[in-house]
Amino acid sequence: MQMGRMIYRYAVATRISHWFWVIAFAALVSSGLQIFNAAPFLDASDKSSPAHRVLSIQSPQDGVGTTTLFGHTFTTTGWLGYTDDGMGGRTERAFPGWITIPSYQDLADGRRWHFFFAWIAIAAWLTWVISSAIKGNLREMILCPSDIPKLWPMQAYYLKLRREPPPHGIYNPLQKAAYTLVGFVIAPLVVLTGIALSPGIDAVAQPLTWFFGGRQFARLWHFAGMLLLIGFFIVHTFQVATQGLFNQMRSMITGWYRTSENEATEA
Amino acid sequence: MKRRLFIATSISTALTACAPIGTALNNNAAFHKLLGAAQPLDHALIGTRGLAREYRESDISREFPIDSLPTPTDAAYDDMVARNFSPYRLAIDGAVEHRRTFSLAQLDAMTQSTQITRHDCVEGWSAIAKWSGVRLSDVLALVKPRADARYVVFHCMDRDDQGTPYYESLDLHEAMHPQTILALRFNGAPMPPDHGAPVRLRVPTQLGYKSAKWVKRIEVVGSFAAIYSGKGGYWEDQGYEWYAGI
Repeated sequence: MQMGRMIYRYAVATRISHWFWVIAFAALVSSGLQIFNAAPFLDASDKSSPAHRVLSIQSPQDGVGTTTLFGHTFTTTGWLGYTDDGMGGRTERAFPGWITIPSYQDLADGRRWHFFFAWIAIAAWLTWVISSAIKGNLREMILCPSDIPKLWPMQAYYLKLRREPPPHGIYNPLQKAAYTLVGFVIAPLVVLTGIALSPGIDAVAQPLTWFFGGRQFARLWHFAGMLLLIGFFIVHTFQVATQGLFNQMRSMITGWYRTSENEATEA
Repeated sequence: MKRRLFIATSISTALTACAPIGTALNNNAAFHKLLGAAQPLDHALIGTRGLAREYRESDISREFPIDSLPTPTDAAYDDMVARNFSPYRLAIDGAVEHRRTFSLAQLDAMTQSTQITRHDCVEGWSAIAKWSGVRLSDVLALVKPRADARYVVFHCMDRDDQGTPYYESLDLHEAMHPQTILALRFNGAPMPPDHGAPVRLRVPTQLGYKSAKWVKRIEVVGSFAAIYSGKGGYWEDQGYEWYAGI
């Protein structure tokens, strides 16, 4: 990569909210799996209904763990269903202790973590959106209609079918599409499907839970949203790691990012 | 390649560190207390507003899970079952102007309210059933809570394997909610023993653990700090939130 000039890429509010997001995301996934373990199945219905079961993780007999997805059962002993109890042994448990908070089964504390870090995540998201909107640089990240014709050329560049990326600003069109989808579609939907699970919310805002297909369905969407966010996390970490890890990490910690030559001409 | 392996190893190490770090923080009293800061915020924002969704007869769950402490098996309870709960008396006392008891026949004679609502368990499952009974607000109107009354505590007949009895509490606002009832009937039949016969509290705006089964005494209080472990309920004493609307 040719060396470009240094630019101040991330405002302090962006950097702080980013790292709060990282912590909150880790806490929410681990405590969320802890909560899932208390009722290790997902139904595409309002009330619980085995006829509408999409996923279930169980231990049909001692020492065996199975996972049933859309009616197909897989043996997942050691990983799911019969796995790490978080105390050095193995037990009947959907998700293993090495990925839940607390590591041992404790629904009450899992909920305590989940509801605390849900507020941290929401506060970080609001901090980022409001500060970026005030500074006017939110549009650098949000996909706009003029970016759409550039999506395929950018993908072609990644697939090495094209020598140069299409001209773009700080973020390329695929990055903008990913950030828009994650930040303004999936993350808000994960929050909404989460609060739709609460009977108190269902009483005050009945259309919300109804919109997602009822309480169990909202639980299914909430879980699916988590999987999408984990997918984004994997791709995002891979890209950061492969496209100048040091430069990327420095920019998200100090704000300063060194542009490459072709980005520098555009930015 | 070495660099990529290093990066992959670092990321996996960071991921597997979440659970042990989280568990250690969870066992830190100050951090554990901080985590609880969300509860008053949720209570203030959500509270008990609006009405729980009411369903049609065709929505009723074919099987309704029994997921509470075990059904009482003591001689007094067995005797009440055998005699169709004629010896049963519901006592209401504490910070009230007129403490009194109600027989099942007296409760049956009061205005009955019916709801087909969804029961949402804290574990995550949901089931729909039809409950009929007396509005708690009607019962409280007869005993007249005093000015110092804040909470309504429900003492129950079921006990865990350590002998600790079940209890629950609501604040007066939740207790006066039109869908908060003392249910006497379940899916059109007299309340079955496993579902809390003869009187089960039904609070459809909150999680299932608030809907206490086998209620024998209702105590109106200014504070529940002196009752059992002081957190306002059997599950609350074991770390669950007192506000169960979320």
